[in-house]
Amino acid sequence: MSDVAVSTTASGCHIFTGCGYPAPSISAFFFKPIFSIGAFHFTKPMLLALLSAAIVLIFFWRAFANPQRVPRGAQNLAEMGVLFVRDQILRPQLGKKGDRYLPFLTALFFFVWVMNIMGIIPLAQFPATSKIAFPLALTLMVWITYITLGIKYQGPLGYFKNMAVPAGAPWWILPLLSPIELLSNLIVRPFTLTIRLFANMLAGHLLLLVFALASWYLFSASIGLLFAATSFVMTIILTGLEVLIQALQAFIFTTLTAFYFADAMETSH
Amino acid sequence: MSGSGTGPDGRNTPPGTPRASAGWAVSSYLIGGMIFYGGVGWLIGRWTGIAALFPVGLLLGLGLALALVIFRYARP
Repeated sequence: MSDVAVSTTASGCHIFTGCGYPAPSISAFFFKPIFSIGAFHFTKPMLLALLSAAIVLIFFWRAFANPQRVPRGAQNLAEMGVLFVRDQILRPQLGKKGDRYLPFLTALFFFVWVMNIMGIIPLAQFPATSKIAFPLALTLMVWITYITLGIKYQGPLGYFKNMAVPAGAPWWILPLLSPIELLSNLIVRPFTLTIRLFANMLAGHLLLLVFALASWYLFSASIGLLFAATSFVMTIILTGLEVLIQALQAFIFTTLTAFYFADAMETSH
Repeated sequence: MSGSGTGPDGRNTPPGTPRASAGWAVSSYLIGGMIFYGGVGWLIGRWTGIAALFPVGLLLGLGLALALVIFRYARP
């Protein structure tokens, strides 16, 4: 748990004791280092990200280490996961020629999803993706890949020319439209890809904290008990909503990655 | 995820046909247009001292971005 939550539950701060509601703040997203090597501080989000990577890696490794013709158990589950990414994310965007990017997109989807799910796993209870550095690093990888793909499929000049010159636009409006096109493709796309995932996970975690802390704060032998119960029910409902959002954001992140790849590979604009 | 005319068997629409997720690209065009022309308007406004050029630039950028979206996705 983060420092703010610990201090709230440890202090016995309740309603009608002259103690104000200790609202969760951005400090809930900053952790004391687990250990430090010089200026490098190893914190809980890093641990959770490493753990998520290990979970995805070990699960798929075990599932496909000894593949059977008739899949059972873990292999069955892993095949369902890979087929979901292929049929729902990759194929609608890239078609069959995009199948070589299936390992990348599968890894990306499950890594982001597991990192998101960590937000509601007891003891973990923190989505690493709500720290902007994690979505940003993933986005940088996607950004470099789709620019490389564009240069590879359309040539270094052709890629930027196709990007800057939208087909069908009259020539006199091009100088006005090209800056929008370049800015949108090279700056706004990676920016929004990062912010969408980061902000959704930050808001979701904060929302859960608000009601979880309120349940504890309102807990007292008075009418507050009723409020606490209501707040607790809200925590349960919002946890259900978060499960949905965590899967949805991982799906959107991967779908947009596939779309950017397809856009870079397409030569006829 | 509807109306794109594609299925899990691969893309079966001619190239250049908008896909469902083109909708996400549209939002980035609108933001890009507002940032660029809003920025240009703000700079010229600072230079000339006419503060109203910033919102004018924002609206102009939004309009041009809409035109770009129409050229890119709404033409047959």
